[in-house]
Amino acid sequence: MELGIEVTEAEEYRVTAIMPWQARLVGNPDSGILHGGAVFAFLDQVGGLAVATRVYPSFEITPTIDFRLDHLRAPAKGKTVVGVGECYRLTEHVAFIRLTAYEEGQEHDPLATGLATYMRMKISAQNYFGKSKHE
Amino acid sequence: MSEALKTLIAACRKGEQPYQALVERVPYAQFLGIRIEARGEELSFVLPKADTNVGNPTLPALHGGAVAGFMEQAALIFLLLEMGEPKLPKTIDFTIDYLRAGLFRDTFAECRVTRLGRRIGNVNIEAWQTRRDEPIAIARAHFLLSDEGA
Repeated sequence: MELGIEVTEAEEYRVTAIMPWQARLVGNPDSGILHGGAVFAFLDQVGGLAVATRVYPSFEITPTIDFRLDHLRAPAKGKTVVGVGECYRLTEHVAFIRLTAYEEGQEHDPLATGLATYMRMKISAQNYFGKSKHE
Repeated sequence: MSEALKTLIAACRKGEQPYQALVERVPYAQFLGIRIEARGEELSFVLPKADTNVGNPTLPALHGGAVAGFMEQAALIFLLLEMGEPKLPKTIDFTIDYLRAGLFRDTFAECRVTRLGRRIGNVNIEAWQTRRDEPIAIARAHFLLSDEGA
């Protein structure tokens, strides 16, 4: 809600969502370029959605295990960012996701590419994460 | 980088401006609610717990993206202040491992510069909540140190 993300397409192997430019998501006040962290949060969410559509109609909690994001170029001020997530491999416990971000209408000139893994949790989150050993 | 930012960094170092001013000029850092606590030139970065940073409301747990953005911003400011003659760092890549759920509480970040070259800086970042030796996430990032533009 805060990032203004909207899912535009959802298929078994591919999810597309948009994140319109917002002043509060800016990282460089002089140029109006979005913060790398905003693009990261957006794509992390898209990655989670890509797992959700792949395992549908089952529902699972899917915390991110790791995520690498390469920033290929800076998004222009005011441009809506499109994020695509593809679950290219699903194993019993782990989902492997490929991510791409581009400006609307510029799908051949990506802004960022990412690679992430997500844990498939069929048990309650509390059981999985446990408690701090000091608590 | 802009003269305004150079002047601000110099003022922070002299103690004429709080380090927090470096956060306040970045809209997304403000949106996350990042705080800088300084003891001399030793900085600690805090992400106070906030409803807007929650990713899983049933646990509740922080959104991984909010934690990542916080760690990236901490690294940016840390690197900016490590350089004698500051250049604007631009993120080339950011890699994070999530080790524990980020619970709905304050999060802290610590940065370490692994290598500061002329063109590229490499920073390691750790985020923790209850204890420093129980990080919730570790990350590393490369930054392009650029002379040009803002």
